[in-house]
Parts: sequence; C-alpha cells; structure tokens
Amino acid sequence: VPVLQTNNGPGLTGLMTIAAHLVKQAKKDQLLGSTAEEKAVVQQWLEYRVTRVDGGSSKEDTRIILKDLNVHLEDKVYLAGNIFTLADILMYYGLHHVMVELTVQEKEKYLNVSRWFNHIQHYPGVRQHLSNVVFIKNRLYTNAH
Amino acid sequence: MGFGDLKSAAGLRVLNDFLADKSYIEGYVPSQADIAVFEAIATPPPADLYHALRWYNHIKSYEKQKASLPGVKKALAKYGPADVEDTTDAATDSKNDDDIDLFGSDDEEESEEAKKLREERLAQYESKKSKKPAVVAKSSILLDVKPWDDETDMAKLEECVRSIQADGLVWGSSKLVPVGYGIKKLQIQCVVEDDKVGTDMLEERITAFEDYVQSMDVAAFNKI
Repeated sequence: VPVLQTNNGPGLTGLMTIAAHLVKQAKKDQLLGSTAEEKAVVQQWLEYRVTRVDGGSSKEDTRIILKDLNVHLEDKVYLAGNIFTLADILMYYGLHHVMVELTVQEKEKYLNVSRWFNHIQHYPGVRQHLSNVVFIKNRLYTNAH
Repeated sequence: MGFGDLKSAAGLRVLNDFLADKSYIEGYVPSQADIAVFEAIATPPPADLYHALRWYNHIKSYEKQKASLPGVKKALAKYGPADVEDTTDAATDSKNDDDIDLFGSDDEEESEEAKKLREERLAQYESKKSKKPAVVAKSSILLDVKPWDDETDMAKLEECVRSIQADGLVWGSSKLVPVGYGIKKLQIQCVVEDDKVGTDMLEERITAFEDYVQSMDVAAFNKI
C-alpha cells in the first residue's frame, strides 16, 4: 500500500488519498471533476480502481472489468464524460498490464475501452515510462459486433 | 477522403464506423477538423450510431471554445477514411459532370451511378490492399522437430534449425521434450512476419537437414 511522507504534514496512506492530495497541491483541481456529478463519477472510478482492479485480478474479474468499462465508455470520451480527470489517469495505470496482454480479437471486442485507452496513452505526460500498447487501425473481426 | 454525404444516413454510418476506435476526427485532441465535420452535420446522429453520437455530444461541449481549437479548417474531403469520397454537396455538383456523358441516352444516369459505384469499390479494394503492409502482421509459431532416433545429436540439430535465416524470421527459445524410447523432440519457438515467411517454407528448409531431421510439425500457431 503506497505511503506518502511529507516534510510538514502527516504521513498519508492509500493510493487514492495520495493521488487526490497531490492533485490539490498542484492546483489542478479540475482533474477531480468540476460539477458535483463529475466529482462523484471520478470518485466512483477511483474506488473501482482500488477495489476491483487492484483487489481481484482473476481472468474472470478482468473480463468483468473490461465489460463494465466498455459499456460505460460507449457514449463517453473520458470516464467522467467530456473532461480528462484523475480517474482516466489511474484507470490507465491500473489497466496497462491488462491491455498489454490482450489479443487483437479482444481489443476489438472491447472496442470502446481500446479507443479510450489509445486516447489516454497519447495524452501529454500520461504514458511516461510505460510501453505503448498497439491498436491496429484496420478492424480484422468486423463480424464481431 | 471524406465521409460520403454527411447529410444522408449512409454518410453518417461511415462517420460512425470511422469514430468507433477514435475520439477525434484527427489526432488525440479536439481540433478544427472536428469543428469542420460537426458543422456539416445537420442534426445529432441517431442513437443507434452510438460512436458518432458520442463524438457529437463531446464536440458540442466544446462549442464555446471552437474558435480557439488547434488546426486549420479544411474542406470536408480532407477528413475521414482514405477510400471514401465526400459527396455532402453533391446535389449542386452533379450538374457539372458533363464528362461522363458517354452514352448520351436516357439510361445515362443509371450507368453513371453503376460506374461510379464500381470504381469506388475498386478504389476501396486497392487501398485496403495497400493499407495492409502498414500493419506488420506477426505470428508466433511453435515447431516440433523430430530426429531419427535417440542417438541423434540434438545440439547439432538445434544448430541446424537456428541456422535457417530469413527476412522476417526470428528464432526464440527452445526445449527438448521426451517422446518415448529415449527419443527427444526439439520444440522451438519463432516469430515470423506473415507476409514474408510461411510454415511451408520453414518445413522445407528444416526437413532439408535429412541427416538429423526425420520430420517437422507445427505444434502451435498464434497471431500476435
């Protein structure tokens, strides 16, 4: 469990707590959402990351996560709708190891997740040292939808 | 490029398909490209074209900033899949199509359309074919190489197999798997580019080492 030790404050424990704290410190509050609904949605996905993604990762769990995400992202560009938030960042990092392993067919099955993931990994500053997951442009399994 | 006639259902379908795996018309940030296409669409796309609808609602949220989005607004024909034409304003253009007046009979409209369609389809096919090399299709193949008997020098056999070099072929790890009576087969992995190397070529070259190799099989073939 990650811990943040600062010079002039209490030590903080927990991924979401630290991430939210750093966002406020950097004065980038919009990353946590602007309207009440957006803030709630961001919190929802942060909680999802810690409980579902980090908590259980059997093959079955992963499939459920991808299905949930695919449905949620059908009508949204970002997890919170139209703005880029901390939820996108932390879900990206949480799912990177999953996306790297997906076959071409699975990437097409979870088309909305692939679109969102490809978008986020190109967002300036997000990818850093993680590998770029390749998404093929030409759809191979067009009967799947 | 272009999306066909964006004021028609068919054009919206092309747009929908295009946006299935993209958040924006061009690149990864909203730009004048999105504004250009947004303004060409009369009403929000129907709910069954959910990718187009997603994009439409997203771009709508940028209405106030549209003048400040990056890029330069280009003609609709500059955006979209490479093999589709922009015909959004075709209603006004068709009167200028005097060149296709080859038959000069009443049937001329029908054959014009049929010709256009055929040509479009051909162009699509050609561009699809030429698009492919951009994506290097690779496969991971697991080969089983069987020796004549248990006295065969497996180290030498492995050396022979690995000596097979080809453009687009990379040998991977290998191991010896016992098959009974003291005989071991060599299981070796390789990654090939589908366009350049095929299993029959590999089989030919491996079985050419007749002193060591009795036969070769493809144990597994996975697309990467």
